[in-house]
Amino acid sequence: MGCCYSSENEDSDQDREERKPLLDPSSPPTKALNGAEPNYHSLPSARTDEQALLSSILAKTASNIIDVSAADSQGMEQHEYMDRARQYSTRLAVLSSSLTHWKKLPPLPSLTSQPHQVLASEPIPFSDLQQVSRIAAYAYSALSQIRVDAKEELVVQFGIP
Amino acid sequence: TSALTQGLERIPDQLGYLVLSEGAVLASSGDLENDEQAASAISELVSTACGFRLHPGMNIPFKRLSGEPPSLPWCTLAGKHSFLLGLLGFSST
Repeated sequence: MGCCYSSENEDSDQDREERKPLLDPSSPPTKALNGAEPNYHSLPSARTDEQALLSSILAKTASNIIDVSAADSQGMEQHEYMDRARQYSTRLAVLSSSLTHWKKLPPLPSLTSQPHQVLASEPIPFSDLQQVSRIAAYAYSALSQIRVDAKEELVVQFGIP
Repeated sequence: TSALTQGLERIPDQLGYLVLSEGAVLASSGDLENDEQAASAISELVSTACGFRLHPGMNIPFKRLSGEPPSLPWCTLAGKHSFLLGLLGFSST
């Protein structure tokens, strides 16, 4: 809403740049379904629509599930760590040269063509200030009452036989 | 520059002023004389405030920035210049 620099526009180019992964995602963990590799590929070519539908549901779920228990920390060997670290630093070095543009303050806009008149005019009425302070206090109180209401478990067990 | 400052000198209850252009002080007087620290701090404040919008695509909704109580100089931006005016009740510390 009315926050500094917030907007409802889609990601700006800069945002997209900032959120791009530094390294191309290497083969993602393929252990999503432990042992339950989808074997719908081996179905006979004469698939029914229902089978196709079920397969697509399965495929979608498989791509959306993050199997916490299967997250193997078999992981990477020492040299792979070093390689990755080196790749990250090179990428960062390349990017940091283009990051400086936002550190300078953007040029200030013009608010008025009559600065002396604006500065010489009346101060804000005290009643307006009181009203704004009261509204701000209400907003602060409302914000402080926002809390997370945990309803379900975050991690669940699927009953995969 | 005197065209810029003459109008400021005449404002009643003024205790000092500062006129900036692109970060450089063009003129200063009174309590704000040579106060580059105040100038840069307040410039950043104004720049931040200029980012506020109630709705996207809206123009900047204010002409003058002031503080309550008036310990902040009144600020406005005109063309390439920033104007800071210290008024009665203002303290530059």
